[in-house]
Amino acid sequence: MEVRPEIQIQAMIKAMVDVVLPAVDPEQKMAQEQARLVIGTLGLIASRLPVAYRFDRDQLDRYVSLSRELVALDQADGGGQTVSKLESLAERGADVLQRARAEPAELESTVFDLRAEVSSLLQSLHKSSSPEKWNKVNRLILEASRMEIDRERALVVAMGFEPKPGSIPPIESLLPPVNT
Amino acid sequence: MTAVDKNRPAPEWIESLRRRYPCEQEMDRVFTRKLQRRAGPGYLPVSLQTLCDSLQTLLKTQLDAPFEIREPRWLTGGASKIQMAFKLDWNQPGVGRSLTSMVVRMEPAESIVETSRLREYQIIKGVAEILPVPPVFWLDEDGKYFPYPAIVYGFAEGVTKPSGGAGNVSGIGVNFGPALRRPLGKQYVEHLAKLHTWDWSRADLSSLDVPALGTQAIEWHLNWWERVWEEDSNIDIPLLRLAGLWLRDNMPSMDRISLIHGDYRAGNFLFTEHDQRISAWLDWELGYLGDFHSDVAYTTLPYLSHYSEDGSTLLASGLMPVEEMYEAYEKASGLTINQKTIDYYHIFQAYRSGVIIIASSYRPVRNGKTHQDILLTWIMGAGYASMGYLRDKLEEVA
Repeated sequence: MEVRPEIQIQAMIKAMVDVVLPAVDPEQKMAQEQARLVIGTLGLIASRLPVAYRFDRDQLDRYVSLSRELVALDQADGGGQTVSKLESLAERGADVLQRARAEPAELESTVFDLRAEVSSLLQSLHKSSSPEKWNKVNRLILEASRMEIDRERALVVAMGFEPKPGSIPPIESLLPPVNT
Repeated sequence: MTAVDKNRPAPEWIESLRRRYPCEQEMDRVFTRKLQRRAGPGYLPVSLQTLCDSLQTLLKTQLDAPFEIREPRWLTGGASKIQMAFKLDWNQPGVGRSLTSMVVRMEPAESIVETSRLREYQIIKGVAEILPVPPVFWLDEDGKYFPYPAIVYGFAEGVTKPSGGAGNVSGIGVNFGPALRRPLGKQYVEHLAKLHTWDWSRADLSSLDVPALGTQAIEWHLNWWERVWEEDSNIDIPLLRLAGLWLRDNMPSMDRISLIHGDYRAGNFLFTEHDQRISAWLDWELGYLGDFHSDVAYTTLPYLSHYSEDGSTLLASGLMPVEEMYEAYEKASGLTINQKTIDYYHIFQAYRSGVIIIASSYRPVRNGKTHQDILLTWIMGAGYASMGYLRDKLEEVA
């Protein structure tokens, strides 16, 4: 099959640059701006598609680890929280990671559910934890967020919102290959 | 992918959010209306002719003498509202026959920031006595005349960035260049000081609730943005939840009530290049009564700044070094900045940025609700720099 998104997007960009944009009335400022934004967005999609699957898989891997650590943390001192849902979602996440042919949509929905449950547990732990335990939860979330945000910023750095874009590593260097 | 269908919100869910996050009455009305309309149609392109017809209908109810709408054209700028410039040939009260340049600013079906046109109208009317703002002429609060709620402004001369200057969409990261920074920066700080020390109690701000001194203003505001997060977000972000909990635990007490702009930054003022004067302050839709530290912290956020030519000095809003801005603000206002409160509001503003840029950009685009969905998807890219800043600040205070 030759009709792949990569080539389709490339053709769309060319049509926009060569045909559509020159035809837009220079006085129609909104149309001019939106035509240029379409070109920029298509370029971004084209460059990121090759790493999109790896990006999500890496994210799930980290959320499974975080969830297990949270469950272990809660159970180590006798617990008190209902972590079974998170525990079960973490195992589901690990299983998804093991299956080589997992659908991208399945990967996405598992991440979605784990994120929601981590957030839910976070609010519940905030109400019931000792200061020491809450401090540990804080550190876990902040460390997990650091890894998450590093990847997210790298993925969108080309959009031009970083004060120091040169300090952002390439996204490819942050995502382990799927087969590791 | 979620138990609650946020694209078709159930009345019970809407009510539960109202109970859980009590906020100012007018904002409660705006948020409730947003959710009630969400399952409705997406944004349908509106022609210049349609807007002119709507305007004609509105003006017939306001003007006795004959008038003519001339030279309608689209305007860009801003990520949230639809704007049409035009000239009105009319008999202007107190002036006589005039040709006045004006702008219609209308909401789309759902916006990146859902706000009240009435509040915007009242705030601009009020602050006109102390700051350069475009004159406001007429208000269509509920979309009685236009397809959606709208305001008719006077056209303000000026630009948001120097001709040929650099900057991203929506005025983020504007580089004014060394020659303009000093004159604009001085006015920028003086205007902020004037706003915060203004006696707003004499103005008609009936659509703003007046908080008690102490923590009520920030509590309402946390409710505002946490509610918006619940209403608009798609995937959850544990860091934002952690930030929300920290903000509740550490609310600072407020000892004076100021009118807050809510989006005081480069890109939201116009200036005239020939005399280097700030000619108009725009985008008052996020205004509210609260702690002046909120605006001061917002305008010094690093992700709304850029580095000077030497590559080492971060310029707040592209205008002056952060410490210099604090000093100039204190001198101009006579108010004392509490650095701990600034730290709090830096975290609050980064949290709010995450809500707006990530959640409230996503939801309208998901449902095809705006005239520039493509712009909103681009703006979403700014959310992760603010999340990086939020994480680092939380680590500092943890």
